Amino acid sequence: MAWTWFHRLASPPHVYRLSARLTPWLAWPAALLIVAGLIGGLWLAPPDYQQGDGYRIIYVHAPSAWMSLFVYTTMAVAAGIGLIWRMKVAHAVAAASAPVGASFTFAALVTGSLWGKPMWGTYWQWDPRLTSELILLFLYLGYMGLRSAFDDTQRADRASAVLAVVGVINVPIIHFSVVWWNSLHQAPSLMYLGKPTMPPSMYVPLLLMLVGFTLFYGAVLLVRLRGEVLSRERAASWIREAVRT
Amino acid sequence: MKHFLDMGGYWPFVWPAYAVTFAVMALNIVWARRLLKRSRKEALRRLTIGGTEK
Repeated sequence: MAWTWFHRLASPPHVYRLSARLTPWLAWPAALLIVAGLIGGLWLAPPDYQQGDGYRIIYVHAPSAWMSLFVYTTMAVAAGIGLIWRMKVAHAVAAASAPVGASFTFAALVTGSLWGKPMWGTYWQWDPRLTSELILLFLYLGYMGLRSAFDDTQRADRASAVLAVVGVINVPIIHFSVVWWNSLHQAPSLMYLGKPTMPPSMYVPLLLMLVGFTLFYGAVLLVRLRGEVLSRERAASWIREAVRT
Repeated sequence: MKHFLDMGGYWPFVWPAYAVTFAVMALNIVWARRLLKRSRKEALRRLTIGGTEK
């Protein structure tokens, strides 16, 4: 009984229909939260006492960096489930996540670099946090490159899943890099447990952006997932109905 | 308004950062829609070529 939902998630037609139905429920709240976060971050939050208005880059940099890690972790967990239970839908989730994660990792690196120039005096430094984040981008690109090297989707799924699972070791390294090593990068501003280092007028917009970006990933993932699920099905009867709607 | 756009002199860093992030978001929407459209077209083509359904 408790596992029925899990088995239903393994069913491509069910996932295809559920994804279509859920997309607007993630997309609209994402848009609203991001607009609210922008208003809060750009207008309502006061300037920082040290960085002035320059710190406002945090409202796009931190959510992009969060996405780079969250999407990779989701991708690795999905790939692992796909490997262990041979679940096509799980492999489809992993494949659908990679370009989203790669693009946000790119955004995190660029926005970080734009923030680094006025505050640290350099766009780039081979620092533990920056270097491990760059490695994450290469992991995403490697995953996507490996997939495209196979014509057969099933073989691509299995080979790329191994890379995704092994690469997940980089996620805690990135997260704790600012704690383990002497880094130019600041320590986390928002801790999961404990007091944030910012006043509510600064961290509430950041929280809105973090949740908004995560829901955005959910919405984009569901659209991509439908495409990935369709491309893995061969002449199943439900496809005819699905492609019409 | 001018004061807002100036971002305390940090405008050459703040606005490009926002532009890159929102360009990435817009691209994600375009790519996702394109993938779904292509997969649908491809699935339809397979159905037409295959003729019979299971």
